[in-house]
Amino acid sequence: MSIVTVRDLVKEYPAFRLNSVSFSLEAGRISGFIGRNGAGKTTTIKSMLNLVHPDSGEIYFFDKPLSEYETEIKKRIGYSTGTVNWYPRKKIRDIAEVVKCFYDTWDEEAYRRYLAMFRLDEDKTPLELSEGMKVKCNLLLALSHKAEILILDEPTSGLDPFSRDELLELFIELKKTGVAIFFSTHIISDIEKCADDIIYISGGKIIAAMPKADFANRFSINGENLEQTFLRLERGVQND
Amino acid sequence: MTDILKKEMNLSASVLSYLFIAFGFMFFIPGYPILCGVFFVTLGIFQSFQNAREANDIVFSALLPIAKRDVVKGKFLFSCFIELCSFVLMAVAVMLRMTVFSEAAVYRDNALMNANLFALGMALLIFGLFNVIFIGGFFKTAYKFGKPFVLYIIAAFLTIGIGEALHHFPGLEMLNAFGFEHIVLQLGSFGTGALCYVIMTLFSYRRACEHFEMIDL
Repeated sequence: MSIVTVRDLVKEYPAFRLNSVSFSLEAGRISGFIGRNGAGKTTTIKSMLNLVHPDSGEIYFFDKPLSEYETEIKKRIGYSTGTVNWYPRKKIRDIAEVVKCFYDTWDEEAYRRYLAMFRLDEDKTPLELSEGMKVKCNLLLALSHKAEILILDEPTSGLDPFSRDELLELFIELKKTGVAIFFSTHIISDIEKCADDIIYISGGKIIAAMPKADFANRFSINGENLEQTFLRLERGVQND
Repeated sequence: MTDILKKEMNLSASVLSYLFIAFGFMFFIPGYPILCGVFFVTLGIFQSFQNAREANDIVFSALLPIAKRDVVKGKFLFSCFIELCSFVLMAVAVMLRMTVFSEAAVYRDNALMNANLFALGMALLIFGLFNVIFIGGFFKTAYKFGKPFVLYIIAAFLTIGIGEALHHFPGLEMLNAFGFEHIVLQLGSFGTGALCYVIMTLFSYRRACEHFEMIDL
């Protein structure tokens, strides 16, 4: 069952066009959103969070249009970015104290559990954290309110290989509980490790949105791994 | 409503916003352009906007499960809260100067404006200007605040200058009333200032909501 549907999303910038982007996400599946820098991943994700206004197109969460049910929908989703740093001089404890007020589904036990799992010190400020720990801090907030879908913009960037592995294992655990995970990345091994579905965007267009196995059957040739397939496709796309 | 105000106060605000509330007590200073205290209070609020921008507060807030207009509402609620806190201090100073100190020579021999109900009305007018010009201007982009703040400074000091000078014009001397002299005029000017504050703030809030809704973050 689709819990997110993105249909014919168009956003035009002077030097870039998000061109009729469509895909859907299902509960209990991990979808890897892959594309090179500037392909349109962040614009798509920002549109899904109503931070960017598409010129046309529709976005539905849980069969409800985002434009009409924004508040209700945002309570049921979790978002994290690997690059942005919120309130760098505030303690994690203080940030969490405020965030929890906005979610009636806030799970203090889950918050404590992830805090321990990520080895985060509540008395530290984001400014005192490494890039990887900042990602974990953002994830901590996203995971602590029982989100039914996690939208994660490059969650593994900046993480060391062990933390990355831990995080991907966590994704697999979460999907078993029915949570849908949609994460953008340009690290193809992340997709190989845990994604069920691949959504591949290039030059603002969705090239493929399908299960990983179908993607390999359709696009990979002569025993290529996913990385080789993407590199070849990207070169081909660029040469078109 | 309380959650977004709590977020503003605990995460977005600069401590200077709270400290600068005390500038409301400048209404006690004799021989000083007392309306400058109003400007300093708004300077403290400006520091919170600066703080918030550095902390990516606007995007953080827009990602919370609230409507985008509530992000705007949070900023207005916080600003009005600080303004009204300092207004209470100014009102206390005015009440004391209208009663206990109404005959004090240090306040009587003063070329500048007296702290009376007219001055309180002017203070609310300046707060209203801040809400319209600065906060309204900020929400055209939700990022740039230099130009709106410069425009506000110009408008605020013009207003302060006019407020300070008005009672020197023939026929307007009663604006500098002491104690309960010309109380109807004092109440009328205060009421006009209060009305301007409410209208300007509501107008700016609505415009800011419209602008913010259109912005790509």
